[in-house]
Amino acid sequence: MKKILIILFVSIHGIVVSQITPEFQIGAKGVFSGNFNNNSDESNAVADFSDTQLLLSLRQKLYNNWRAQFVLGLQFPDANSNLGQVFYNNIFIRLEDEKNVLKVGRTLAQTILNQFPTLRDDDAQRFVYSLNPFSNGVNTERDQYANVLEYARIIKKKLTVSIHGENFYDNLNPNDFRLNSLGLSIVYRVPESQKWNRNILQEIGVSYNNFFTKSPYTTDDFEASTKNLIFSTTLNLIPHPINFVDFKFQAIHNFGWSEINFLGSYFDYTRAKSTSLFGMIRYMKRKQERPNYQISVGFGYKNMPSLDIISDQYMLITNAFYRIGENFDVGLQYRYLTNNGYTSIFFGRYEHRAQIALVYSFNKIFNKQFGDRYDILNLEHNYIR
Amino acid sequence: MKRRDFLATGAVSTAGMLFFPGNLLAKEAKIENKGRLTKPLPFKMNGEWKEFELYIDIHIHEPAPGFKYHTLAFNGTIPGPEIRVNTGDKVRVKFVNKTDLNHTIHWHGMHVPWRMDGVPFVTQLPVMPNNEFIYEFTAKPEGTHFYHCHWGTLMHMQAGMFGSLIVENPQDPIKERFPYDREYTLVYSSHDTNYVREEMNGMLERMKQRSFLMKNGEFTPEQWSVFDSKEQMQSSIEDGYVPPYLTNRRSNADLPQANWFTVNGKSYPSTPYLFIKENENIRIRLINAGAETHNLHLHGHDFWMVADDGVPLEHPWKRNTVPLAPGKTYDIIVEGTNRGIWTFHDHDVRKVTNNGLYPGGNLLALVYEDLPDDELVITKNSGNPMLNPNAGKGGMTKMDGMDMTSSKEGMKKNMLFGDDKLPKIALDE
Repeated sequence: MKKILIILFVSIHGIVVSQITPEFQIGAKGVFSGNFNNNSDESNAVADFSDTQLLLSLRQKLYNNWRAQFVLGLQFPDANSNLGQVFYNNIFIRLEDEKNVLKVGRTLAQTILNQFPTLRDDDAQRFVYSLNPFSNGVNTERDQYANVLEYARIIKKKLTVSIHGENFYDNLNPNDFRLNSLGLSIVYRVPESQKWNRNILQEIGVSYNNFFTKSPYTTDDFEASTKNLIFSTTLNLIPHPINFVDFKFQAIHNFGWSEINFLGSYFDYTRAKSTSLFGMIRYMKRKQERPNYQISVGFGYKNMPSLDIISDQYMLITNAFYRIGENFDVGLQYRYLTNNGYTSIFFGRYEHRAQIALVYSFNKIFNKQFGDRYDILNLEHNYIR
Repeated sequence: MKRRDFLATGAVSTAGMLFFPGNLLAKEAKIENKGRLTKPLPFKMNGEWKEFELYIDIHIHEPAPGFKYHTLAFNGTIPGPEIRVNTGDKVRVKFVNKTDLNHTIHWHGMHVPWRMDGVPFVTQLPVMPNNEFIYEFTAKPEGTHFYHCHWGTLMHMQAGMFGSLIVENPQDPIKERFPYDREYTLVYSSHDTNYVREEMNGMLERMKQRSFLMKNGEFTPEQWSVFDSKEQMQSSIEDGYVPPYLTNRRSNADLPQANWFTVNGKSYPSTPYLFIKENENIRIRLINAGAETHNLHLHGHDFWMVADDGVPLEHPWKRNTVPLAPGKTYDIIVEGTNRGIWTFHDHDVRKVTNNGLYPGGNLLALVYEDLPDDELVITKNSGNPMLNPNAGKGGMTKMDGMDMTSSKEGMKKNMLFGDDKLPKIALDE
């Protein structure tokens, strides 16, 4: 072992002499809010800084015109998430060339295809994520992040087809790191830099996720798996540089187990047949080529048709953000949730939540050496390897 | 087809590729070198007017083999094609903007009518995307000048928007005093290619928004940061407009740090060669279209400084190093008095680099084309006794009976860095 370490040290020392300083990217998001909850069972007020995160990325060119990126990110989760003080939500390496992307490590899973303008990423969790059927639902990170092995092929710069396998955290077998999900996604997305070039269709995609669950009702592996289909789109309703309006929509159909006709546990909630619809319309005022304020309204609906009593869920969410300076926003958000039937047993009958928040966000690449695939130059004037 | 002709054909068909300098004295070298020199812009006569056409578009440029970046280019070349006219000619240049950015053309050193001077919002409005502008002027004064974009000058000039403009005097006093048949134009520039990429991307994205607003008739002074008066600007500030140079708005404090240095758009080893013969005079027109000073030094010669900013000097004077500051032009005459291959380079050697690595940048060579092949052979002329037993013997030729043993011969071969011939391309000294 000692010999191996010495050889490794010598090798690394040799590399250090001539190593290339990579591009490094720092991303930071701080979300600090006062939450005022009025639920069917209790009322409370909470100081909340969950979803605050830091991201570090190192990226450089390889010898053969490919690029490699190493990403390390950490997040401060909810206090009652059972994830500890810090959750390492991104630890992955990515290799890419003009048409191929390979990603290995922990990062966002393709359990969501859209980005909704909510205060926190998980504010509409039960409506916008294809939920991890191995999770006990104590936290939302286990739905969002997974250990992934993903290959994506980029076609004509805007269409991405990806095949991905994941290991989602399994509360019943926490030491099982085998892939327990396989999926396929096809997404057409107009890059942010071309938003003003504007066809109404900004984004459309579908994703199929197959979770390798075991079922007490069948021995057939495919029958036993939990299958989710996601459809997502973003429409630029008014793609105006000053008064911008878009509409984001996502539908998730969980083919689920039709044998589940009541919710005995949270696992039943994620494995039962369900359909979720969520849409959000956003108005953004831009002043001097910068966002000034933004108002959004969203509505979600989820039903679970195989249950023996009506157990649907509704959500109304609205928020407003005002930019007080570069990178800093103040925000207000109100969310109303109502749960019927069995879902009220898990989540309460209703919930009102009002939040007042300060948000800091920053993202910059230092020591830049080459363009990004979504730069206008690479998109419209030939990609430079 | 003879072998030599075949080689020449190959060199032409692969114009722009790296030429191996070991064959520097071959005729293919001169053919290939044409690709490294400024190209004349053809014109049409329309009455008394010489009419030229220039367009600007986005272009992928390769200053040295293997490194490419997006940039702007007049008529698809960097530098733009050379406009060459006579003193007093009436010149008309139709300029077409094929990009999504704004541009103008400024005629640097020329005494044009002020409305033709190409300064946006001072002498004209910018030439908007897919618009054109027709510049008209009488060619004066004589001499070496250049043209460049005057919109977003910090970015657009280093992004390739420049070209030479030569106004010839049929009774040129320089030519009378130093008769010459050949002349070269060398346009120097420096580029922060990362800055160019970031700024071009940012500007293209902003222009998509601005063009949309302009089409909708929603132009406002604040949106464009363009005001009719200081009072209007101050009034806008009172109404909440924040100037972009303030650090709480958009200001980008990262000034460009040039990492590529070019001559005629190329960096070593793609820089042009200056061919000369013994006892020949050549004229070199030096233009600095970049933002860095280049202290140009010629090995083995003193040259005559004959014009400064295009103005012929009444009393030419000799030197071997010239500081070519941004915006300057100098004309020099080199007399072919010292046979050989001589480097001509920036003596601020930070600029003899490519992306931080020496050698590169504006390193080029003055080449005597009548140099005997024999002088290129390393072992016949080396000062290293290991390579040449006659080293230090006053140029005596090798004598019979002094052959080295085979083991020494082997070592010698290993020391030659390849063929027994100079020059070589060295990229990592």
